[in-house]
Amino acid sequence: MTTAVTSEELDPLIHVPTRLKIVATLAALPDGDTLSFTRLQNMIGLTPGNLIIHLRKLEEAGYLARAKTTNGTTQTTTVALTARGRTALAAYRRALRDLLGEL
Amino acid sequence: MNHTPTAATASNGADFNPQQAAALLDQTTAYARRQFEPNPPWLLVTRAGLALDAYGALWLSVRGQHPYAHPTAAVIPVGVGVGVANVIATMTLAKRASAGISGRRRLRPAEIAIMAAVWSAVFVAIWPMAVAGVSDRIVYGLYPATAPLIIAGLAWAAIMAARADWRACGSGLAAAAVGAAAWLAGPAGAWAVIGIGVAVLLLVHAAEVSLRHRA
Repeated sequence: MTTAVTSEELDPLIHVPTRLKIVATLAALPDGDTLSFTRLQNMIGLTPGNLIIHLRKLEEAGYLARAKTTNGTTQTTTVALTARGRTALAAYRRALRDLLGEL
Repeated sequence: MNHTPTAATASNGADFNPQQAAALLDQTTAYARRQFEPNPPWLLVTRAGLALDAYGALWLSVRGQHPYAHPTAAVIPVGVGVGVANVIATMTLAKRASAGISGRRRLRPAEIAIMAAVWSAVFVAIWPMAVAGVSDRIVYGLYPATAPLIIAGLAWAAIMAARADWRACGSGLAAAAVGAAAWLAGPAGAWAVIGIGVAVLLLVHAAEVSLRHRA
């Protein structure tokens, strides 16, 4: 019963524990700020390979933007939630609230 | 290594129910906000206590002086020590909180330079004032008690207004207002007003941060 409602109402891209953690973490930053891949990885506790897979899915959906900056010999990858990603998380939060209110 | 909470650890959405999702979302959001917060409530409350101690000690050392002379030599290291400890704690925590973050939130080098120049100028100006024969009430009382808050507060408010960060701008203006109010209390009373005013501002800020993290 619960699973059926969930799959219909909740954004399947966000409704995965790891991706929910990624999106919620990035949403805690002010709009316009970016987070380094390394710090995000430390906060989420994933291997780089696993994190990249999830980031790619969110990026393909337009929820997340990645950028690479080079400072001398060091290359840094930064990630940020897009406006579309913030909207999707807000909708997901509303859907969760509605679902839990119904349950 | 710090990791986000793992209330629900299903690897995909199949076994992940809405209750687990809501719990994980709340926990992760709270955790991330704490990690990104450069002014945690505990630090603000500690600073409030230290401000009361330091300014209180300065006030106790001058309240019986008629005419006003200056804070006693034994108290000045307390004030300087608290000030230095405050700057070190603030910079350390701000650096840790903003590690890996880039964008609007970080102060630009020019903004840091302006604030450093303003702070330095406020204290350096005491010397020429003393040499020029300005009264002790001003040089060792009203000016060092109130000018850091008024001038640095207004400079901070201007920088934050340019960034359209109205919350931080309001904090700068509030600090300047406390400084201006303290000026009216006279050279001895200014230390007490600053101590109480700064402590209140810091406690209000701590409450605001706590509420924001829980929202």
